[in-house]
Amino acid sequence: MKLHTVFFPICCVVFGSCSTPAHKEAKSDAAPAPVYFKIDPATAGTLAGVVRFKGAKPHPKPVDMTSDPACVDAHHGKPHDESLVVDAKGDLANVFIYVKSGLEGRKFETPSDPVTIDQQGCWFEPRIAGIQVGQTLKVVNSDPVTHNIHPMAEVNRAWNHSQGAGDPPISRKFLKPEIMIPVKCNIHSWMHAYIGVLDHPYFAVSGNDGKFRISNLPPGDYVVEAWQEKLGTQQQKITIPPSGAVETAFTFKGE
Amino acid sequence: MEGGQTAVISAATALRTPRAQAQATKPARCKRVLHFVFPVIAAIASAGCGQQAPPQSDRPIGKIITIEAPLGLPPIPVPADDPETAEGVELGRRLFYERRLSAGNVLSCASCHNPQLCFTDGQKHSTGFQGKTGTRNAPTVMNAAYFPYQFWDGRAASLEDQAAGPIANPVEMNQTHDISVSKLNADPSYRAAFEKAFGPGRITINRVEKAIASFERTLISGDSPFDRYQFGGDKTALSPAAIRGLAIFRDQSKGNCAACHTIGQNYALFTDGKFHNIGVGVDGEGNLVDQGRYSETKLDPDRGAFKTPTLRNVALTAPYMHDGSLKTLRDVVDFYAGGGNSNPYLDPKTREIKLSAQDRADLVEFLQSLTGKLPADAGPPAETRTEQSE
Ligand code: HEC
Ligand code: HEC
Repeated sequence: MKLHTVFFPICCVVFGSCSTPAHKEAKSDAAPAPVYFKIDPATAGTLAGVVRFKGAKPHPKPVDMTSDPACVDAHHGKPHDESLVVDAKGDLANVFIYVKSGLEGRKFETPSDPVTIDQQGCWFEPRIAGIQVGQTLKVVNSDPVTHNIHPMAEVNRAWNHSQGAGDPPISRKFLKPEIMIPVKCNIHSWMHAYIGVLDHPYFAVSGNDGKFRISNLPPGDYVVEAWQEKLGTQQQKITIPPSGAVETAFTFKGE
Repeated sequence: MEGGQTAVISAATALRTPRAQAQATKPARCKRVLHFVFPVIAAIASAGCGQQAPPQSDRPIGKIITIEAPLGLPPIPVPADDPETAEGVELGRRLFYERRLSAGNVLSCASCHNPQLCFTDGQKHSTGFQGKTGTRNAPTVMNAAYFPYQFWDGRAASLEDQAAGPIANPVEMNQTHDISVSKLNADPSYRAAFEKAFGPGRITINRVEKAIASFERTLISGDSPFDRYQFGGDKTALSPAAIRGLAIFRDQSKGNCAACHTIGQNYALFTDGKFHNIGVGVDGEGNLVDQGRYSETKLDPDRGAFKTPTLRNVALTAPYMHDGSLKTLRDVVDFYAGGGNSNPYLDPKTREIKLSAQDRADLVEFLQSLTGKLPADAGPPAETRTEQSE
């Protein structure tokens, strides 16, 4: 036992002296602090638009939560399937719209605010979320039951985490862009959400009126993609002129 | 009669030369075999072998008694060098409730292993000396005699090895063994009780450990509704929901709980005595908060692995898990139903668990049927009650 204490400092000295030069080299090799792309507010433009649905109006199926009575109580109102949400005028909600290409070579700062997914009424709120690489995803459980959120990532590492009633929020990050990560609850089979991870801030989710807006976009030529969980994707080429406000529309056809 | 026997044994011991005594004690110490199904780590017990023979024997001298195992439990393993005697058990019981074993005479073993809470403390993490809290939940001492390892990470091999730990632990009772021994020495009634149990000689920490362990071996609880159903032939002892729960508990394609919380042919300990990472103690970012068994073995697969606890009396021992993170049995079952928390060292067995909502309700019902009969003489002895009011 005594020997260890004697040897230890000696080891340290040996290693210490050996590693000094290596350390220096490593330092000169190190990547410089990231230079973030500066968006010029004088020239940045906006892409706004609407997503429409064409076809027979879907009839969302009721979701049966009776296997967990606490969920029935926690979910105010009758839950219905939200995989295809169309309003009376044919506007399509919950479509993820994002810049797919045209921003290459630019590095954008990671926002310090987290993106929050709440488990409320045995439902994920929101259903569709966009987040930047390295940004914090905060998962909250507002329910009186245990949830086990499970983002089934393929590019990023998949994980799942148990969260009992009253447990503190959990914080996670995704380290690579991935469109889209399906999220389920390992306990409540009807709970679904999707997370889009991007290395830039140019994404939006269409609202109940089908509308979306991506602002502060540098002028340039882009491919913009709209993603819907059941209907797939559509792409458009969009040019944003300096200070331009471009309007567009996506139309998805039902089966 | 017993007194006479005592005299004979201690006379014989006194006649032996230290060397002869060393030879006599050596095999017993080295083997210290628990006659039991679990593999026993002889290495730990052998630590004292090469040393000089102790100047006095710390072996209990009284008439050896047998503690009957209740329905559903196997014979109680007793180490060869610490046989059960009435005097040893009585002394151990007194020591278990003895606050003088702590700095400031404030805490006894029972402060955290309270008989009213089936020898737990009902807290997430125990409160020790001056309100200090550890990071682990106090497990029950009930049936601990059967465990091949003590503590969540198994760092003690026997009850004897375990007993002295909390006394000196700064966040527990925080008192050096010398002070503990001298406090006991100052009390003539303790001097008499130790001599009665171990023969003439000083009070030593070794004797303290052995007496406490002897008492702990009487803290055995079986004969639960489950035992009466499973081993006693009483098919009415369990409710239909609990019977369904038992089936789910054993079904490999559903709960698969018995893979680790073992149920045997003739008895059930509800533990395999092994260590598993079931995904408890993973922080929000996915990192293991407590390395568990790894801190003992330094083997990667042991990261985040903890001893499978018995589930006997589990309805009385909330909160649950090594970190006390789950408040109710329902929470525990939901934790398993969801697959726990992912981490690189998760035991694959936990991933196979599939539980419907009905299964979960039935499992909770079953876990509630594991509350057994408690032994009669487990509470504080009459004399300690008066001393504690000093
Ligand atoms: C301050 C609270 C506290 C006190 C006092 C205390 N313990 Fe404990 N005990 C614990 C905690 C917490 C653990 C679990 C620690 C771990 O696994 O790292 C434990 C573990 C044990 C175990 C292991 C059980 C198992 O299943 O692994 C035994 C046996 C035990 N204690 C006996 C005693 C005895 C005997 C005393 C008195 C000498 C005592 N304890 C005093 C809190 C306490
Ligand atoms: C892979 C082995 C394994 C399987 C399978 C398993 N358990 Fe466990 N169980 C453990 C371990 C290990 C712990 C302690 C974990 C910790 O604290 O980190 C534990 C803890 C528990 C506890 C808490 C006990 C206490 O005193 O804190 C309960 C209750 C429990 N398990 C019930 C079950 C049920 C019900 C199932 C089946 C659905 C099950 N276990 C399946 C190994 C297992």
